[in-house]
Amino acid sequence: MTPEAPLQIPKPARIVEIVEMTAIEKLFRLEFVDGSRMGFRPGQFVEVSVPGVGEAPISICKSPTRPGPLEITVRRVGRVTKALHAMKAGDVIGLRGPFGNGFPMEKMKGHDILLVAGGLGMAPLNSVLQYVLDRREDYGRIILMYGIRTYRDALFREEVFRMLEAQGEPVVLISYERDDPFMEEIAARYPNNVRKGVITVLCKECLLPHLTPGRTSAVVCGPPIMYKFVLKELVGLGIPPERIYMTLERRMECGMGKCGHCIVGGASNIKYICRDGPVFTGVDALTIRGLI
Amino acid sequence: MIPPKKYLVTTSEEIFRFTPDEGYRPILDDRRIVLVGVHACDINAIRILDSVYLEEPEDIFYRRRRENTLIVGISCEPDEFCFCRSVGADSAQNGFDLFMYDLGDRYLIESGSTKGEKILRDLGLRQPDSADFVQLRRAMHERDLKFRKSLNAYGLPQIVDSNPTSEVWTRYSEKCLACGTCTLVCPTCRCYSVDEWKELTGECLRCRRWDSCFLRSHALVAGGLNFRPTRTDRFRHRYNCKSSIEWSTGRLFCVGCGRCSAFCPAEIDHVEVLNSLVHLSVMSA
Repeated sequence: MTPEAPLQIPKPARIVEIVEMTAIEKLFRLEFVDGSRMGFRPGQFVEVSVPGVGEAPISICKSPTRPGPLEITVRRVGRVTKALHAMKAGDVIGLRGPFGNGFPMEKMKGHDILLVAGGLGMAPLNSVLQYVLDRREDYGRIILMYGIRTYRDALFREEVFRMLEAQGEPVVLISYERDDPFMEEIAARYPNNVRKGVITVLCKECLLPHLTPGRTSAVVCGPPIMYKFVLKELVGLGIPPERIYMTLERRMECGMGKCGHCIVGGASNIKYICRDGPVFTGVDALTIRGLI
Repeated sequence: MIPPKKYLVTTSEEIFRFTPDEGYRPILDDRRIVLVGVHACDINAIRILDSVYLEEPEDIFYRRRRENTLIVGISCEPDEFCFCRSVGADSAQNGFDLFMYDLGDRYLIESGSTKGEKILRDLGLRQPDSADFVQLRRAMHERDLKFRKSLNAYGLPQIVDSNPTSEVWTRYSEKCLACGTCTLVCPTCRCYSVDEWKELTGECLRCRRWDSCFLRSHALVAGGLNFRPTRTDRFRHRYNCKSSIEWSTGRLFCVGCGRCSAFCPAEIDHVEVLNSLVHLSVMSA
């Protein structure tokens, strides 16, 4: 690290484009004002600064294999993200990072990749999805399981539903939680791919025919409540817990293991989610207390 | 009452300013300070802060202050709250520039850095002789006998880790006022939070200030989910953190200064809580 570019100081970045994804989520395309680029791995995050308001940790939702601006998907949920949603193309924000370990893309080479996304969890997993699609020869089958509330809440909707309709690779399985006539139609059309309920309803009948647990690596991201249930289902289907990778959320103010907010684990095994994670395995979930 | 950490990570510090024209400008504190009379426990605590803040990626604000700080330690006498000896923090092997041992009518001064070495040389003091070292050993021995408090530190991380549901946590957290005093007076507590605002001039300013894991907001995320929702969760979290091992020193994150017990308005005693936990876990095994 050079003294000119300490990780504590944001670098100005310009919003080059904003895409409205849902009623509460927008995709921001960002470029550094000085023309530099940020190297990163799928699953890493950045600290996004809105000048005069504050900072929030946000996952990168694009693969490093793709050229062009950095992309983040932001849900309007707190003070900083509300301010971010009020900004427009051309405005300048600050970025620090990338932070965190990211997904072990090298280690997963040769495996089938099962992506399990719940709601906003699709954002970091989109980075993984693009990555494995771009390096198709390095990975086996790709299966995306996506849990949404209704059709209108789905992120990367066009891409996801286009892949579903193609009925080939990657295999797309979708669960929807709320009453939604449009999703009912889709479910009627693709009964083997779409079910009503929480994401785990997909595991038994829809996922099983496509799954070879012994050569599968799973990447999981969703709301905190989801992990316990998904981990149990996936281990139940025979995927080894050390090959289930989950990316976790916590309060983080520094992103680099100093501010103390994201500390988890018992006294003999303290971890910082921001620095030692945010990606942890199913085995970590057993050995690090309070992880999921 | 407040440990010397306040000179290295101040209670509230500006870290940068931003204007659209000038971008982000870090604010580094260039004051040079000398800390005189720092006790061994606090020197060991500063070593822990060094390890956290200077580990890659290092904290530039801490780095600058630390480089501009000269530390002069002094030997001390235990009071009714001290338990530094039981956690191995009753003497300092390094982390200071000079250390003064009180031998009654004179001081024996040890240097712990090249800066300290130079100061000693420039002072032109007499070299210590064997009588001075005999007196030092006697003084240290007499001091050892004065400790009245001792933490069962052996195996503590594992014991705390394996008893997350012990009734000890609820018993003491029910007394706890969750005021955060223990974290403010703790020489190794270092959680900070970040604030940012816009001045009337249009300039944006970011500050960081001491935070406490006893406050409800500590593990709260946007959207309202709290990862440590109850007072017992937060109480256990702090004891958990203080009972873990700092990897570079191999010692507990607690240096046994006793401040948390001395200043707790609910009179919760750190040693009593943890020793009760150890006692109860043996008795119920």
